[in-house]
Amino acid sequence: MTDRFQYANDREAYSAARAKALESLLIEKGIITGTTVDTVLKVFETKMGPFNGAKIVARAWVDPAFKARLVADTPAAIAELKDLPEGMAGAEGEHMRAVANETGVHNLIICTLCSCYPWPVLGLPPYWYKDPTFRSRAAREPRAVLKEFGLDVPETTEVKVWDSSAQIRWFVIPERPAGTEGMSEAELAALVTPEAMMGVAVAKAA
Amino acid sequence: MKLQHYLGGLEGLGPVSVETRVFVEEWEKRIFGIHTAMMALSPQLPLPATPSTFRTVWTWADLRKGAEAMNPFDYFKFRYYEKWLGGISAYCIANGYITEEELEARTAEYSADPDKPLPQGSAEAPNGLTIDQRVERYLAEGDSPKRDVDIPPAFQTGDAVHIRNVPSIAHTRLPGFLRNRSGVVECVYPGTYGYLTDTGTDGVGAPMPVYCVRFAADDLWPGNTEPNVTLYADLYATYVAPAA
Repeated sequence: MTDRFQYANDREAYSAARAKALESLLIEKGIITGTTVDTVLKVFETKMGPFNGAKIVARAWVDPAFKARLVADTPAAIAELKDLPEGMAGAEGEHMRAVANETGVHNLIICTLCSCYPWPVLGLPPYWYKDPTFRSRAAREPRAVLKEFGLDVPETTEVKVWDSSAQIRWFVIPERPAGTEGMSEAELAALVTPEAMMGVAVAKAA
Repeated sequence: MKLQHYLGGLEGLGPVSVETRVFVEEWEKRIFGIHTAMMALSPQLPLPATPSTFRTVWTWADLRKGAEAMNPFDYFKFRYYEKWLGGISAYCIANGYITEEELEARTAEYSADPDKPLPQGSAEAPNGLTIDQRVERYLAEGDSPKRDVDIPPAFQTGDAVHIRNVPSIAHTRLPGFLRNRSGVVECVYPGTYGYLTDTGTDGVGAPMPVYCVRFAADDLWPGNTEPNVTLYADLYATYVAPAA
């Protein structure tokens, strides 16, 4: 039993060798090519990522009518934005919904069963989102968890926790921070983090 | 019961990780790419054929089933992509794509020489798409679970409902902390939705309505949660029953 709680000394080196061994065998067997894994990774550097979500949120901040449409019909509103890459309704974004923070309401997105995440607009989930401790605790004691992320949410603010257990991939429209009135959409987008779009942070004026 | 089905609300776990990186080791990128490519090449998808020799179904459900089958201590012990590496390797061995011996031998080679390059692979002569084109197409088009089947929903927004305690064996999409609890339908999603696999007695797979159901946290964990917390979950119709 004690072995179960110990890691091998070469934990990372072994996993690195094993992952490379698996990839090399799958290439040799003709399942994937020598460029397939890099092709996948490139999509998440150039097409699917939090840079899209940040643009969408910035647009919602400057255009209240767009924000209302984004909450009412998220895919249709996103499809209005012509400066986003193709694939905004692609893998893990087929059925997305946005929820907006407002005075008295703070939204938090979780996935207690796995790690469902809106890939097209947010890319891949950060480590904290996938960790079982977060997934367990955020359901029952969200304020305690948010405090560990440095965010104080008073008891007078309702915390809405959205557990992604079926087809919907949720994300949060954080509130526009004060002191950003003169900023361009691009400057605003730079204030929007993946953490703010999942609800473990708020957007802050830089 | 599997602990992995009952994570929500588990106590005694200590502080959360606030690590914001997606990959904390370089090798994690490789196993993520392998998994995503296998999903894209999985033969049930309505995408053109490629020269890939991949011939069995691989979806999120297979990955999740593997993680849910783990010893719960190991589930907490190993990082996210360590679990993927174990599950995907086991699947490739079980389906005859590679052998355990090959994988061990090749792992030993890369352990001895981590910088040894990957093989290049053979040139493709596709009739349809190349392997890499199909991967890009899958990512761009996705795989919607929405089905063209008309089943009227049994509940409407505002209805009080009871969550069933279905017999889940290998895999479920019903979080454990919601079983036998009462909630209110927040919304009914338009249409019907399938799931990636048939979960047997658990009950999802075939097209059915999906509800967003609202729960007061104090109903889920009476006297043992925070005030003014509401929890919403998207639940397949088979999990949702009329209020008692």
